[in-house]
Amino acid sequence: MRNDLRELRQAAGLSQRKLAEALDVSRQTINSIETGRYDPSLPLAIAIARHFHRTVEEIFHVD
Amino acid sequence: MSTEDRSTTEGHHTTDDRSTTEGRSTLRKLAVGGILLAVVALIVTVGLLLREHAPGNMGVGFLQGAAVGLLALLLMVWRLSKRPDRATTFERAWSQTGDERDDAILTRALAVLGLAAFPLTSVAAVAVALGVEPSMVFALLLFAEIVVGGVAFVVINRRN
Repeated sequence: MRNDLRELRQAAGLSQRKLAEALDVSRQTINSIETGRYDPSLPLAIAIARHFHRTVEEIFHVD
Repeated sequence: MSTEDRSTTEGHHTTDDRSTTEGRSTLRKLAVGGILLAVVALIVTVGLLLREHAPGNMGVGFLQGAAVGLLALLLMVWRLSKRPDRATTFERAWSQTGDERDDAILTRALAVLGLAAFPLTSVAAVAVALGVEPSMVFALLLFAEIVVGGVAFVVINRRN
């Protein structure tokens, strides 16, 4: 699964650490999601989407 | 989505949320402290029993190993409380303070260990049947399982 998390985060001027704190996860988790090594659970994907005022489908894409 | 919903999802919690979280945190600390005390009591009891009844200096070795393990555990707890941002995945996962990725890695590593335990135990049983010293086989079995669990955790952590 691909995602646009890195682009969204950088556009919002957030560091991985700041985003991780806002979502109550570790920085490593944000990094792993951005690099596509870890696919988040549905609750975390929804939390990410809400944080950026997007839908899950706008951020996460199935190849 | 309403403004109130958004503020909640963005981390602006209410006073009720904070008091509930603090209450849970206190309960968790009490539970961890109780478990730690029970573990120490169990270790000392088993160590003394082994020193009394087990062959050689097994009891002393057990107590020394347990002391090293407890020191490592306390170091881990100290790091998590003082520098949580620098804690490793291993520390977060084993202290049950990690997020979903940490939990997933630990679960997968334990699954690998569970799968490996069956053939490892089979090999150990065959070795005992062939006449190898059982205490040596059990020690090697434990060591092999620790290695498998550790390697599985590191590999899965890097891949995820």
